[in-house]
Amino acid sequence: MSARTGSANAGTARRVRTRQPLAASLRVPLLLVTNVAGLFAFIWPFVLPAMVHPGLDHRSDSGLILVILVGGLGGLLFTELGRGGLGPKTVALIGVLGAAMVALRLPGFVAGFNAFFIVVLVAGNSFGPGFGFLLGAIGMFASGLLIGGLGPWLPFEMVAVGWLGAGAGLMPGRGTKWPVRIGVLAVYGLVGGYLYGAIMNLWLWPFMTSGSAIAWDPSAALAQNLRHYATYYAATSFAWDTFRAVGDAVMVVALGRPLLACLDRAAKRMRLDVRDAVPAARAAEP
Amino acid sequence: MTTTDNAALSVRQLTFTYPETERPALIDVSVDIPEGAFALVLGATGAGKSTFLRTANGLVPHFTGGTFAGRVLVAGRDTLANPPRRLADAVAFVPQDAASSFVLDGVEDEIAYGMENLGVDPAHMRRRVEEMLDLLDIADLRNRSLRQLSGGERQRVAIAAALAAGPRILVLDEPTSQLDPQGAEHVMAALQRLVHDHGMTVILAEHRLERVIGWVDMAVGFADGRATAGTPREVIHDLAVGPPVSRLGRMVGWNPVPLTVRDARTLARLRPPHAMSAVTSAITGAPLVEVHGVDVQHEELGVPRPALRDVTFTLRAGEIVALMGRNGAGKTTLLRTMSGVLEPTRGSVVAGGHPPVPGLDVALCPQEPESILFNDSVVGEIRATLRARNLGGTDTAWLERLGIADLASRHPRELSAGQRLLVATAAIAATQAPVILLDEPTRGLDPESKAHLIGYLRTHAVEGGGAMFATHDVELAAAAATRILMLAGGEIIADGTPADVLGDSHVFAPQMTRVFGPGWLTPEQVAGAMA
Amino acid sequence: MAWATLGGIVAFTTMNPFYLLPLWAISWFVFTQQRVPGPASRSFRMFLVAGLMAVLIRTALVFLGPFTASNVAYFALEGLRLGTILVIFGTFNAVTDPFGVVRLAPRRFQEPALAAALALSIAPRTVASVRRIREAQQLRGIPTRGARALPALAVPVLEAGMEEAHVLAESMDSRGHGSGRRSRYRPQSWDPSAWAMALPALVAAAVFWIASTRGFGDLQPGTNPLHWPAVNPLVLAVEALLVVPGFLPRQGNARR
Repeated sequence: MSARTGSANAGTARRVRTRQPLAASLRVPLLLVTNVAGLFAFIWPFVLPAMVHPGLDHRSDSGLILVILVGGLGGLLFTELGRGGLGPKTVALIGVLGAAMVALRLPGFVAGFNAFFIVVLVAGNSFGPGFGFLLGAIGMFASGLLIGGLGPWLPFEMVAVGWLGAGAGLMPGRGTKWPVRIGVLAVYGLVGGYLYGAIMNLWLWPFMTSGSAIAWDPSAALAQNLRHYATYYAATSFAWDTFRAVGDAVMVVALGRPLLACLDRAAKRMRLDVRDAVPAARAAEP
Repeated sequence: MTTTDNAALSVRQLTFTYPETERPALIDVSVDIPEGAFALVLGATGAGKSTFLRTANGLVPHFTGGTFAGRVLVAGRDTLANPPRRLADAVAFVPQDAASSFVLDGVEDEIAYGMENLGVDPAHMRRRVEEMLDLLDIADLRNRSLRQLSGGERQRVAIAAALAAGPRILVLDEPTSQLDPQGAEHVMAALQRLVHDHGMTVILAEHRLERVIGWVDMAVGFADGRATAGTPREVIHDLAVGPPVSRLGRMVGWNPVPLTVRDARTLARLRPPHAMSAVTSAITGAPLVEVHGVDVQHEELGVPRPALRDVTFTLRAGEIVALMGRNGAGKTTLLRTMSGVLEPTRGSVVAGGHPPVPGLDVALCPQEPESILFNDSVVGEIRATLRARNLGGTDTAWLERLGIADLASRHPRELSAGQRLLVATAAIAATQAPVILLDEPTRGLDPESKAHLIGYLRTHAVEGGGAMFATHDVELAAAAATRILMLAGGEIIADGTPADVLGDSHVFAPQMTRVFGPGWLTPEQVAGAMA
Repeated sequence: MAWATLGGIVAFTTMNPFYLLPLWAISWFVFTQQRVPGPASRSFRMFLVAGLMAVLIRTALVFLGPFTASNVAYFALEGLRLGTILVIFGTFNAVTDPFGVVRLAPRRFQEPALAAALALSIAPRTVASVRRIREAQQLRGIPTRGARALPALAVPVLEAGMEEAHVLAESMDSRGHGSGRRSRYRPQSWDPSAWAMALPALVAAAVFWIASTRGFGDLQPGTNPLHWPAVNPLVLAVEALLVVPGFLPRQGNARR
């Protein structure tokens, strides 16, 4: 009854906070732990060499364990994010924005680079890192289901795009001058485009290249493995990722402002403030 | 407690202001709606109808924010202390756009969704779903995807989904506004069953009073945020709104004001109008668009389905054509074919000696007018059109034509549905295409916007343009059109003056025709003949 | 799902071409028997192509290292393994109804799963809305191609989406979403056909796993020195168990 027992002063307005809807109540420590674990799942070839036998068979096993690890991690993250309840507003927003991602990934609908990144970038920036992560991950999951991209790589994609969205949420947001906000987000899109490619290639790298000069060598030092990977990445993915990175940046410049304005308005509409003005007549009631 | 004990909804001294607005949307509203009532909420657009409905389950203020003074009790529970999810077992809310309120994909799942949220046990849930399917007469839809349903079916599924968890109060925002007359009739019959046979309380808002006024037993009227409650007759008399027969009643001083065609017939017998004024002669302006022997086929899951069959007609300068017919009759397809974005499978469409160029020879305002608005001001929309077409001219001239010059600097998204339609129409008009088409311009249209729209169409026609609009709104067709095309199953089944075509139809006859016979279309016309 | 994961394990544990190649045949058979219409079904072909590409690319990488016959064979076989896994998951994607997968989400995942389901069911509307808006702008004389046309398309789509999200959230809240209680309509359970699907795959995966750790059945034919890999008919027979789903009646494919 917090709302009505309030003030006896006629005409006084008093705020009633409704529950913060946009996944704001995430427990930070657990989030940190899971994300570090996630990072580890990606970069294990660099940090783990000593633990893995150089024998070829065991490399297969470790790959399998990796897939299970990321799957488990995704599960943990979702459970954690969903525990307090996302609430209808967050679910509905992710549904609609995730649908845009799915639509942009449908074969034949948009040719060329992955236009769906723009959705994650602007939505993450407008609604914040928690939302950005959820949208990226769930959007990837849903589009993976529909376009038939379900497989061991899906958890990696989910986590990677989730990070991309979370990072966009950490860039300067509402209240920043437009040119700055758009500029920073465009640069972030550019860098993010490469990072996404680099990190997505990473998990497959040890299985693709054994025996060659750009291969993962479990017994080698970190620096050497990094060098090998850089060569591998430059050879296989750099050109491809440039399309994505530049595409992201161009999209942000071309569309960022009107889209962010629209999302900001929606965000404002979803974060509410109810004022209960107690009129004289009721204050006088027993 | 001042609340009546048996009130389903009790509103006490409610004053509510939306965030960032000065004027309250509701001012000192006190209304009781008793259990088992079939209540109509009426009033002009922006008068507070929708806001009032949304207070009933706490969407106002929990989903809107704003300043809320007073008290709303629904089934005895305070809405300020209980957000909508905690009232879900007591009151059901069906929004205007049923399609975007659906959460899942299948009819059965959608009906069960509310019960899942409330933790109803699976066996009971199964039974309730069956009951709902029967109650709303939608058992044959059970395995369908929600995407495949017609408007009327969707509306009934939405009602079933809202009611399944067992609430005894049902609130609906304009449940028939997007339906053709038959669909609307189905929905109203279902609602009446809920009230009469099951003792539920139904509260609904509706613009098109002629569709609902005969069914309800009480009314709450809104004018500028203030409410009056009473019998439908009293409220309509006070509010100066109502179906055409009521407007006529007020014009000619009938007391009490008739609400239904039946009421009006009794009164009309006492005072028949004089002989009908001369019928306007056919318009013989230059042909603007010639449609000749057109067939259109849509592919549906690989199977071609005819959407238009052998359609032939000519739209001439000076004409305003109303395109009518039930949902799925081919109205939108015909408009798209005329505008040049859809190639006919057979036959030809010619505008000025060549196939029409979209946006140049023919411009079209789509069914959802907001879907073309992308600028951050109203005048920006006009400028975008002018820039794209490399046209000069003043942008405000086009706003004035639609009577919205005062909205020039507003953000299009902040406007009412009617105002948005006028903005979109102005943006279309600014193409200066000789032919202007409108697809169902009547959704959420208030009388004032409607008058502006009709005014624009007439000016356009007088200046040598041609216009055509698809509509379900018989009264708009009767008031604005010089000619009516009736489609059924993709074929033209009637083409003629409103008096001829509408007078001849059971379903589409306007109220004046039903009371006074063929040829009488609008209250103004009848009142003139009675004077 | 169980079938694909376990099938993937089978492929993972072996590099013997005589065990890998039959898996392509099995996948193809299951696909033709169980396919559901839709974009995912078309994607099976994409997966086939991707599988072949994996073989080729992997083999091509040999040029980056010492070029010997045994190296070529090793690279080709590893590529074949990767390709096989791709094809198995391609089959899974092609025979699975996405909504079915979402419905499998355990209780704690229900909200994220619901969001994913919403994304799936709204996506066709989004596509339709983009098409409609493109046409509508065209009919207003606004260009709909090129980068400068993007705002005229993207803004109305997003605005409509935000409006839809608001209506949807209201509708969900009005129907008790997040009220704390929760039950499930027609809960899915492991029925006999699901078991019939998963059990043989489980047996196959277990046998392969054990065989690979025990060095039985020549699952990892050595390529140095190069020799013709042996085939154990017993192991091959076990692998054939994966074909069972192809014979089951088509329905509720998600668990497979």
